[in-house]
Amino acid sequence: MVNRKRKILDWGNSILFLGPTTFFFVITVIIPFIYGIYLTFHSMSTPTDPLVFSGVENYVQAINDTRFWESLWITIKFVFATTILINIVGFCLAYLVTLVIERAKVQNFLRSAYFTPNLIGGLVLGFIWQFVFVQILPAIGDFTGIKWLELGWLGDPVMAFWALVIVTVWQQSGYMMIIFIAGLISIPKDLMEAATIDGAGPLKRLRYVILPLMVPSFVVTIFLSLRNAFMIYDLNLSLTDGGPYNSTLMATMHVVNKAFIEYDYGTGQAEAIVLFIIVAVITGLQVYFSKKKEIEA
Amino acid sequence: MKRFIYFLFVSVFVLVLVGCGGQKETADEGGTGDSGDSQVKIVITNGKGEISEQFNEAAKTFMEAYPDIEVEVHSKAVGDTLNPYDKLTASGVTVTIAMFEPYEAMTKYKDIALDLSDEKWNEETSDALTDEEGRVIGFPFAIEGMGLVYNEDVVKNAVGDDFDPFAINTRDRLIELLDKIKESGIEHPVAYQTEAWSVGNHYSSLFLNQEGDPAAMLDKLANGSIKLIENEVWNGYYDTLDLLISEEYNAYGERPLGQYYDSAHVAVGNGESAILFNGNWAFDSLQALEGTNFGFMPVPVDNNPDNPLNNKIAVGPTQVLFINKNATPEEQEAAKTFLNWLVYEEAGQDFLVNKAQIISAFKNNPYTVTNPLGVAISEAIANGQTMPFSTNYINAGEWSTIVGPEVQKYIAGEITREDLAAFFEDYFKNQ
Repeated sequence: MVNRKRKILDWGNSILFLGPTTFFFVITVIIPFIYGIYLTFHSMSTPTDPLVFSGVENYVQAINDTRFWESLWITIKFVFATTILINIVGFCLAYLVTLVIERAKVQNFLRSAYFTPNLIGGLVLGFIWQFVFVQILPAIGDFTGIKWLELGWLGDPVMAFWALVIVTVWQQSGYMMIIFIAGLISIPKDLMEAATIDGAGPLKRLRYVILPLMVPSFVVTIFLSLRNAFMIYDLNLSLTDGGPYNSTLMATMHVVNKAFIEYDYGTGQAEAIVLFIIVAVITGLQVYFSKKKEIEA
Repeated sequence: MKRFIYFLFVSVFVLVLVGCGGQKETADEGGTGDSGDSQVKIVITNGKGEISEQFNEAAKTFMEAYPDIEVEVHSKAVGDTLNPYDKLTASGVTVTIAMFEPYEAMTKYKDIALDLSDEKWNEETSDALTDEEGRVIGFPFAIEGMGLVYNEDVVKNAVGDDFDPFAINTRDRLIELLDKIKESGIEHPVAYQTEAWSVGNHYSSLFLNQEGDPAAMLDKLANGSIKLIENEVWNGYYDTLDLLISEEYNAYGERPLGQYYDSAHVAVGNGESAILFNGNWAFDSLQALEGTNFGFMPVPVDNNPDNPLNNKIAVGPTQVLFINKNATPEEQEAAKTFLNWLVYEEAGQDFLVNKAQIISAFKNNPYTVTNPLGVAISEAIANGQTMPFSTNYINAGEWSTIVGPEVQKYIAGEITREDLAAFFEDYFKNQ
C-alpha cells in the first residue's frame, strides 16, 4: 500500500519536472521530425498542394544532387578544422584561467570575457565580422603595408573558408572553456600533489594526470563542436552567404536554399534527413569510442 | 506539499489549454457573425512585409469609405520564405486578393487568376501582367527598376551641371565619363558589389531584352537556336561588366568578389565612388549624406547610340495582385472595388505612393515618391525610356543559387567567357 502510494507520488514528480519539457520537446521537435520523414515520401510543388505518394523519388534526387555532396564535403572540412581548433583553444583558455592565473578577480574577469562572444547570436556576429574582414583588416593592411591583408577576405575561397573557421572558433571556444573549467576543477587535488611529489613537472602532470581525467569533458565538447559545425547556418548566411561562387556553401544552407529558395521542398527535406543520418552516425561513433577511453579517478 | 504543487501545476496547465481553446472559439463565432449580415469580407495577402503597417492603415481607411466591405490583411513577415497565400489556403481560408512576384505568379499560381481584362484601370497602365493568351491577370502593385546608379553630386562635379544620364548611351561614352570622374579626383569611379543575385538575376538577365519580348527570347534559348558566344548583345553586357569590375575603375578591382554590398553603397552614397549597378531599393543603403541626389543611367551594351538597349533602363512590376477565381462573386466584386480604390481614389493613391513609398504603375497617380531613384524611374516611364524588367522572366531561386555563382566564377577568372556561354546554353535548354 505504501509502495503504491510512493509510485503515484513518483509519477507526479516526474510529470511535474519532466512534463513541460517533454511536452514542448514533443510538439516542437519529435512531431515535426516524424512528419518531416513522412513528407519525404511524397511530392508537392507548393506547400498547399495535396500530398501525392512518390516513394523514394525525393531520396534518389537528393543522392543525385551533386551540389549537395559538394556542400557536404565543404562542411566536413569545416567540421574538421573547427572541432580541432575549438577544443585546443577552449582547453588552453580553461587551463590559463584555472591553473596559470590564480587571482580570483582576474580569473573571473577573463572567464566572462572569453565567454561573452558565445552570447552574441550567429547572425549579428556574422555582420560584425563581415565588417572586420571586408573593411578593418584591409585598412590595417593598407596602413601597415602587409600585402595579404590589403584585400577583403571574403572574395577568396580559401580566405573566406578560414574567415568562417576563425569566427566559429572565436564564438565557441569560450563555451567549451566553461566545460573544461568544470573538468579541471573536479580533478582531485591529492592526485596532483602526489604527481608533484613524485617529481612530475607541469608538462608531465598535463600529459599523465590532467588529460586522462579530462576525457569526459572532451567527450562532451567534441560532441558539441561536431554537431554545431555540421549544423552551422546563421553564421554561414550572414558572413559569406555561401560566396564567393558557392565555395563556402555548407550542407545546411544548401538544404534551406533547395527547399525555400529553389522551392524544391521534397528534395530539400530528403537531403535534410540524409544530413541528419550522417551527423547522427558520426557523433554517435564519436561518443561511443571516446566513452571507452574514459577512466575513473 | 508535493501534492499541492502537483495540483497547482496541473490546474495551471489545464487553464492554459482551456484559455487557448476558448480564444479560438470566440474568434470563430466572430467570423460566422459577420457573414450573417450583408457585409462582404475580403482577405488580402501582402507580400511586402516592410509596408504591413501602412497596408493595415489603408485597409482601415478603405473600410471607412466602404462600410459594407470588411478587409482583412495578412502580411508576409520580412524574410519569411513562405507566401501568406500558401499558409492561408492550406488552413482553408479563401484569399480574395493575393500578392505575388511576377515569375511565381506566371508559373505556380496562374490557375487561380481571375481575368481582369475588362477593368477600367487598364487604361492607366501598361505594366499589367498578361498571360499567354493576352488576358490581363495581374494588377501591377509595385514598380521597380534597375540600371547604373550614380551619385549626382560626384558626376556633376566631374562633367558639369548639364549632365544628362541618358546621353551615356554607348560604351565609349561611359568610359569617357568614368575617365572624367577619375580626373576630378575620384580614384575609383565604380564600386560594384558583385553579389550573386546582382550579377546573376539582375545583370545577366538584361540581355533577354534584345528582341523586345524576353519571353520570346527565352523560348529561342530553350530550343537551342541561339549561340550565346556569337550573340553580340550577350557579349556586349559582359564586355561592359568587365569594364565595371576592372582594376582601373572598380574600387574592388583587385578582388572584385567578396560581400561588398554595404561597403559599395556607403562609398557611392558619400561620394568616394560614383557608380554601381542596382535598383531603386538601393536608396536605403545609399543615403549616407543628407540631400545627396541619385539617378539612373542605362547600361550600355555596345557603341551604337541608336540601340534601344543603350537608351533604356529596365523597369517593371515586381509585385502583382491577383483576384482569386475561387472566391465568391460578391467577394470578387468587393476585390475589384478595392483595386479601383487604389487607382482612382485620393486615399488609395496617397497610400500607395506617399505612405508606402511605392512607385505607382498608373499614369493618373499625381504623387511621386521621395526616393530620388524612384523619381528617376517615374520620369523614365513618362519619357518612354524603359524596357521590360527582365528579372521577372527568370526563376529567381535558381538564378541566385546556381546561375549567379557561375557568373561570379567568370568575374573571379575561374572560368572563361566561352565556359559561361556554354553554361547558359545548357541551363536554358534544360528548363
